[in-house]
Amino acid sequence: MKKSLLGALFLAALGAALAYVPMDYYTEGILMLLCINMIAAMGVSLLTGFTGIFTLGHAAYMAMGAYTAAILIMNYDVPWLPSVLAGGVLAAALAWVVGVPTMKLTGDYYAIASLGLCEAIRLVIENWQSVTRGARGIPGIDPYTTRAVAVWFFVILALFMFNLIYSRWGRYFRACRDDVTAASLLGFNTPSIRLVSLLISAFYCGIAGALLGGYLSFIQPAMFDMMKSTELTSLVVFGGLGSMSGTLLATGIITLITELFRPISQYRMLIYGAVLVMVMVLRPDGLLGSREIWEFRRRRAGAGKEESR
Amino acid sequence: MATFLQQVVNGLSLGSVYALIAVGYSLVYSILLFSNFAHGGFLVVGGYAAYGMLNSMGMNIWAAGAGAIMAAGVVAIVTERMAYRPIRERTSATLYLLIASMGVSIVIENVFVVTIGGRYRALPEVFPSQPIVLAAREAGEAALRFFPGAAEGLTPLLTISAFDLISLGVTVVFLLLLQMFLMRTRWGLAIRAAACDLRTAGLMGVNVNLLIAIVFFVAGALAAVGGIFLATRYTLYPQLGNMITTKAFVAAVIGGLGSLPGAVIGGILLGLAEMLTAGFISSQMRDFVVFALLIATLIIKPSGLFGRDIRDKV
Amino acid sequence: MKKFLSIILAVAMFAFPAFAAEEVLVGEISTSTGDFAAYGFAEVESVKIALEEINAAGGVKVGDKMLPMRVIQYDCRTRNEDMVNAARRLVNQDKVVAVIGPSGSGLCISAAAVFNRGHVAHLGTLPTNPMVTMDERGKVRPYNFRICFLDPYQGAILATFAVKNLNLMKAAVLYDVSSDYSQGLREFFVNEYKKMGGEVVADEGHRGEDVDFRAQLTKFKEAKPDILVFPTMGKCTPLAIKQAREMGFTCPIIGGDGYGDFWWEIAGEAMENTYWVSHVDKGDPKLKGFFDKFEQKTGTECKEFMNAMMAYDCLYWLKDAIERAGSLDPEKVRDALEQTKDLKLMHCTLTMDEFHNPKGKEGIMLKAEGGKTSYFATIKPEM
Repeated sequence: MKKSLLGALFLAALGAALAYVPMDYYTEGILMLLCINMIAAMGVSLLTGFTGIFTLGHAAYMAMGAYTAAILIMNYDVPWLPSVLAGGVLAAALAWVVGVPTMKLTGDYYAIASLGLCEAIRLVIENWQSVTRGARGIPGIDPYTTRAVAVWFFVILALFMFNLIYSRWGRYFRACRDDVTAASLLGFNTPSIRLVSLLISAFYCGIAGALLGGYLSFIQPAMFDMMKSTELTSLVVFGGLGSMSGTLLATGIITLITELFRPISQYRMLIYGAVLVMVMVLRPDGLLGSREIWEFRRRRAGAGKEESR
Repeated sequence: MATFLQQVVNGLSLGSVYALIAVGYSLVYSILLFSNFAHGGFLVVGGYAAYGMLNSMGMNIWAAGAGAIMAAGVVAIVTERMAYRPIRERTSATLYLLIASMGVSIVIENVFVVTIGGRYRALPEVFPSQPIVLAAREAGEAALRFFPGAAEGLTPLLTISAFDLISLGVTVVFLLLLQMFLMRTRWGLAIRAAACDLRTAGLMGVNVNLLIAIVFFVAGALAAVGGIFLATRYTLYPQLGNMITTKAFVAAVIGGLGSLPGAVIGGILLGLAEMLTAGFISSQMRDFVVFALLIATLIIKPSGLFGRDIRDKV
Repeated sequence: MKKFLSIILAVAMFAFPAFAAEEVLVGEISTSTGDFAAYGFAEVESVKIALEEINAAGGVKVGDKMLPMRVIQYDCRTRNEDMVNAARRLVNQDKVVAVIGPSGSGLCISAAAVFNRGHVAHLGTLPTNPMVTMDERGKVRPYNFRICFLDPYQGAILATFAVKNLNLMKAAVLYDVSSDYSQGLREFFVNEYKKMGGEVVADEGHRGEDVDFRAQLTKFKEAKPDILVFPTMGKCTPLAIKQAREMGFTCPIIGGDGYGDFWWEIAGEAMENTYWVSHVDKGDPKLKGFFDKFEQKTGTECKEFMNAMMAYDCLYWLKDAIERAGSLDPEKVRDALEQTKDLKLMHCTLTMDEFHNPKGKEGIMLKAEGGKTSYFATIKPEM
C-alpha cells in the first residue's frame, strides 16, 4: 500500500506542476485536450479492458455530458462545476436506462447495439431542436475548462480509477471479463457488476464531454459520432486491454501525434487508419498488454512473486 | 392511397440498394464471423474505378462496370490477405478483425481524399433517368397502365424514375446470379459448408484460404455494383461508403447476420421503413427509425429474422 | 521514425514565432474541403489575387509606413468544430489583425464568440443569416461584420420574385434543418410570401447529410405546388433538383444565394427552369477585368463568382480600414470597420449600418438555362 500512496502523491505533484507552470497557448491547448481524452479513455478502458464488454458507442455518453452541462449553463445559469458534475451523472443515468436491457447481449451483439445507440442518441440530439438547437450545435459556451480545471479533474478521476481497479471491485470486474459464466456460477451477481462498470464508464465519458464543451466553447452532434466512439475504443486496444496505464500512454501518444500532424491534416486520417491496421496486425496486445507500466520490472524479478492484485 | 404506394415504391428502390450491399456484408460474416466495416471502402473503390473508366478511358457502361467489379474485388482480396489473414491466423477473437476493418475503411477513404480529392464528382449520364408513370388517373377513374415518359392529359399517380427501375432490375439479376453460384457450383457448395463451420470444411479438404479469397472477391463485386448505382444517384465522393454501409449493416443485422435471404429482406424492410417514416411521420426521423429498429431487433431477437440462435449453453 | 519526425515538428513549431517581421497579418478561414469546397476554392484564389495586387502596389499604409500584407489561411473543412479551432488559432496564436471568411452562416456563428472574446474583427464573405452579426438578445456583435446582404432581405427578394415576376402563388419549401442559413432563409421567405398572398402548401425539412429526398418530394406531389423553393446550399440542392425532375416536377424551382456552378455537373439538364438569388451580376462589364484575371491565374473560369467577388472586396475593405485606423491594433481596426462609409469597392459602394451590415444593396435573380446561369432581373423588394 505504500507504493500506491507514493504513486498518488507523485500524480498530485505532477498535476500541480502541470496546472500552474506558465505555458504558451498552444501547449496549454494540447495539455487540456490530453486530459479530456484521458478521462474518456479511462472510462472506456474500465468497461472494455477490465470488464470485457466491448463497446463502440461511448461517444453518446460524452454527448450527454456535454449537452447537459451546456444547457444548464446557458439556459438556466447554473454555475459550471455543478453543471459538469450533472453532465456526468446524467450520462450515467442514460447508461442505466439503455444498459439494463442490453446487458444480456453477448460480445459482438452488444458492440452492435452500442453503435446503434450512439447513432440513435446523436439523432435525438439533432432532432430535438427546441432544446439542443439541433445539428447546428450550441455556440458561445462559457470557456470554463481552464488548464487547472482539466488537470485537476484528471488527477482526481485517475486516482479514483486506479484505486478502483486495485480494489475488490476491480477483481469483480476482471472476473466478469475472464469468464463470466464461471463468475456467475461462483455466486457473483454478474449482471449487476457489469452494470456498475458501465455506469462508472459512462460517468467518466460524461465528465469528459462536459469538459470538452467548456474547452471548445462549442458543441455539435457531429462531434460525437461513431468515429469518435471508435477512436476511444481504439485507444484502449492500442494501449492494451487490461492495462489502465497502457490506456493513458496510448492516449498520450495518439493525441500528441494527432495535434502535431494537424498542419498536414490531409494525411492525418490516412496515417491514423494505417496505424490502426498495423497495430492490429503486428501487435494486437497493444503497447503494454494487460500489465500496468510499473509491473514490468517485477515480472523479471521472478514469476512466482506477483502481488495479489 | 396513391401517396402510400408511391412511398412504397420509393422504399423498394432504396431497399434494393441496401439489400445488395447487405448481402455482401452478410456473406463475409457468415464465413468469418466478423463485421467487415471496410465493405463501404470496396463500394467507393468500385465507384471511383467506374468513374475513371467512364471519363478518362471513355468506355461504355458495360466495360466500366466489369472493370469496377474487378477493381473492387481485387482490393477486397488484397485487404483480406494483408490485414485480416495475419490476425485470423493468430487469434480467433474477432475484436481485432473489427478494429482492423475500421482502420482499412479509414485508409481507403482517405487514400481517395489525398490523391483524387474530396470534391463531388458526377458520373456521366449513362443511365436514363426520366420519370416513368406507373399508374395514372383519367378524370375520375384509376387506370393502371405503363407509359414511358410523362402522360398527357392524365394525372400521374405513381411514378418511378427509369434509373430506379434499372437499379432494381440489376440488383435482382445480381442476387439471382449469386444464388445460382451458391447453389449450383462446387465453390458455392464449399462456401455454404464453410458458413456452417469453417474449420470442418477445411478438414474436409476445402482450400480455406482460396475460399476466403473468393468470398471477398464476390463481396467486393457486389459492393462495386452497389457503388456504381449510389454514385450515379448521389454523386461520388470518398465518404459515400459510410452512411450507406452503416444502414446496410443494420439491414444485415435485422435480417440475421450470416443469412443471405435475411440480408435481402432486411434491406428491403429498412428501405420501406425509412420511406414510410419520412412520408408519414417526419422526414427528420427517418434515420432514427433505422437505429430504433436495430435496437429493437437486438433486444427482442438478436439473431435477427433468419439468423441462427446463438445463445451459449452452459 | 515517427517520434523523430514529431520532435522535429515540435521544435519547428516553437521556433516559428522568432520570425516575426513587420507586416500586416490577416487571417483567412476557408471551406477548401468538405461540402462547400467549391465556394472555398473561389474565395482562396480571389484573396490571393487581391493580396498580390495590394502588395504590388506597395502594401498597406499604416501610419507613415508601407507594410506588406500576409494572409494566413486555414481550411475549416466545412465543419463547425474545425472552424472554432481555426478561429482560436488565428486569434490567440497567430495574433492576426482581422479574419476573413468563410461564407457559411453556421460556420461564422459558431466561431463568433471566439472573435468577440479575443477582440479580433471578423468579416464574413457571404454569410446571410442575421445572427452572424447579431446575438440572441438582438444586440449587435461588436466584432462581427459582413459584406453581403441578409436573409430577411433575401427572403423578401425570393417572395417578390415568385409573386410579382412569376405570378405563382402556391409554394412547397424543402429546407435543411442543420443549416442556420437554410432555416433563416426559409422563415423569411415564408413570412414575406404569406404577406403577399401566397400559400405555402408544403414545408419539409431534411438533414444536412441527406442525399435522398424522394419521401419529401412525394409529399409535395400530394400538395400540388406550382413552384418549388429550395433555400439551401451545398450539394443537397442539385440532388434535390434532379430527384424532383425525376419525379415529374416541371415547375420552376427557386432558391437563395447558395447557387454554385458545380451544380450543373451534378444535376445536368434538371437545372433548366431554375432561378437563384445573386449578389453580383457576372456579366456586368465593370467586373470583367476581375473575372478575366481569375481565369488567367487559376486556369479555370470563375464559377462561384459571388464568393470570389466578396472575398476579393473583403480584403480591400480590410486594407482600407487598417489605413484609416493608422495602426495594427485589432481594436482600432474594428472601430474603423464599423465607421466604413461610401467605400468604393469593385462590386459596390459600401456603407455599414448599425448592425454591421451593408446598406442599400440590390438583389439580382439569375436564370439557369442552356447550361449556364445568366442575369434575369433586378429585384428591390419593399421592406
